[in-house]
Amino acid sequence: MEYNGGSVIAMVGKDCVAIASDLRFGNQALGIASNFQRIFPVTDRTYVGLAGLGTDVTTLRERFRYRVNMYTIKEERDIEPQTFAHLVSSTLYEHRFGPYFVEPVIAGLENTSSGSKPFIAAADLIGCLNFAKDFVVAGTASSKLYGLAEGLWEPDLGPEDLFETISQTLLNGVDRDAFSGWGAVVHVITKDRVVTRTLKGRMD
Amino acid sequence: MSSFNPYTQNGGTILAIAGADFSVVAGDTRQSEGYNIQTRYAPKVFRLTDRAVLAVNGFAADGNMFVKKVKQRLEWYRHAHAKDMPLRSIARLIQTMLYSRRFFPYYVYNILGGIEEDGSGAVYSFDPVGSYERETCRAAGPAQSLLQPFLDNQIYFKNQQPAPGMSHPTHLPLQAVLALVIDSFTSATERHIEVGDGLEMYIILGKGRGLQGLEGVKGVQELTISEDGERIFVVRRELKKD
Amino acid sequence: METSFALTGKGYVIIAADTTAARSIVKMKVDEDKIKELGTHLLMAYSGEPGDTVQFAEYVERNIRLYQIRNLYPLRPPAAASWIRRSLAQSLRSRNPYSVNLLLGGYDQAENKPNLYWIDYLGSVVEVPFAAHGYGSYFALSLLDRYHDPEAPLEEGLATLKRCLDEVAKRLVVSPSKYMVKVVDKDGVREVEI
Repeated sequence: MEYNGGSVIAMVGKDCVAIASDLRFGNQALGIASNFQRIFPVTDRTYVGLAGLGTDVTTLRERFRYRVNMYTIKEERDIEPQTFAHLVSSTLYEHRFGPYFVEPVIAGLENTSSGSKPFIAAADLIGCLNFAKDFVVAGTASSKLYGLAEGLWEPDLGPEDLFETISQTLLNGVDRDAFSGWGAVVHVITKDRVVTRTLKGRMD
Repeated sequence: MSSFNPYTQNGGTILAIAGADFSVVAGDTRQSEGYNIQTRYAPKVFRLTDRAVLAVNGFAADGNMFVKKVKQRLEWYRHAHAKDMPLRSIARLIQTMLYSRRFFPYYVYNILGGIEEDGSGAVYSFDPVGSYERETCRAAGPAQSLLQPFLDNQIYFKNQQPAPGMSHPTHLPLQAVLALVIDSFTSATERHIEVGDGLEMYIILGKGRGLQGLEGVKGVQELTISEDGERIFVVRRELKKD
Repeated sequence: METSFALTGKGYVIIAADTTAARSIVKMKVDEDKIKELGTHLLMAYSGEPGDTVQFAEYVERNIRLYQIRNLYPLRPPAAASWIRRSLAQSLRSRNPYSVNLLLGGYDQAENKPNLYWIDYLGSVVEVPFAAHGYGSYFALSLLDRYHDPEAPLEEGLATLKRCLDEVAKRLVVSPSKYMVKVVDKDGVREVEI
């Protein structure tokens, strides 16, 4: 996980969810790029973030895209975030004894009879799912993100407050991590749109 | 047989924050070794003088011994000079005491909090061999990685832009600091297995600066006898049990 | 030691690679071309385990050519990068992985812009404005942070590259003596003297 660095976090708000990550791609201590996207759209209201080894981030993104496309064609509907979380889990568990070195984070809005419901989940590198009600973290700055999120997050934040909370959590977390940082990207998902913002961060 | 290892890690976490004319030094009271809890009440924060408090974290046996030796040196100083050692001098004393054991160190991270001779609140943090620095805030111990970035954000206002025409305060009021300390330990207790049970907060107030709202804090207890000089208070809290 | 650099500019990519083929402490050859021309507008510098490098580079070269023959149009740089990445990622989890690091530079004739990809033996790909592999990267990347300009004309780009080569010559103990420098732009690939 420390080979390329990088961290991801997702948080639940009131009728919204947010997912954010840093943009560093490094080779151990050496920074290679500050534009490495590790969060990908799955549907128009579900996103997945992959923290871990760069090559596996790309490989899994491609595998997930393929499997989600097959699902969409067969089912003739978008995949639900919870279903996608299980897809992620089983894809990772297929490689139980020779895993992809990736910790995925999923954030999205579930379809329910009464509209939509925020959903977040995270998994370890072999697909053990963690359905948290508040926030999930992954990557090299995870311990810092836990400490910050535990202190800053509160229930029922609106999209703007959630954006501020997740941004402050991520930025201050990665600033204490040598393997993460170099800018950040934040997606706030609400029922009728997704707002994506790229944040400037410390470049050291 | 594997060779004897003279060190162990005993968990717990300490934290200190300096205000303009006060200082808060806090620590949890859990002492553990691996997954085993040795005791739920082992103080890590110690009053040295009327204006200095020392928190120790790491190897508990070394910590206790080190505090004992510092206290002894401070007593000798009192006998020789008929006054308490100033805070910055205690800091330098701790450095030399730690460095004197450079090749068999006390396996302890120290944080010293108190009031300087000029009346300002101060925090000094040390590594096990005596490198030290005066700071506004510092967390140490296994939960340092959880707490320090939180303090960066809330004390130093890192990654926060002040409102136009405004600036961030360099020091926070006592009430705000106490709230942050309690929040910090609540967070660390939630996410770190080695942190929990009890919280002890020592508050050192500058000479003649009033109680700054401390009178309203539940369970506050004064340790100093006189109201004339610097005053030390302690607040004890239970930490969440689930 | 093996070193390669690349940078983009206004409508071009410059790729430079040292020309030594070494075995242990011995220089076996000092005029080895380690930048393959994969197509009319695509360059690939390769370095890594001797043997693997040429083997993999030729495998890539033939497959990219095959695609062009079959489809009558070449792979564009992003597609080529993806295909190469996948080959490396599959190889990584095989019994005998290739250890080859690449810099892939191309001129996208559809979008009329230069592309540069940093690729390592694990199959990690990043699109970057400038890149380096080998010990040279520890010296060159900081210089490129300071001097790189994505809008610079070719002469300026070559001057920036020269700074990197000079710094490596000055500060790296095991610095290469000669470099091959190639440029790709709208007119295709060509070698330049530096």
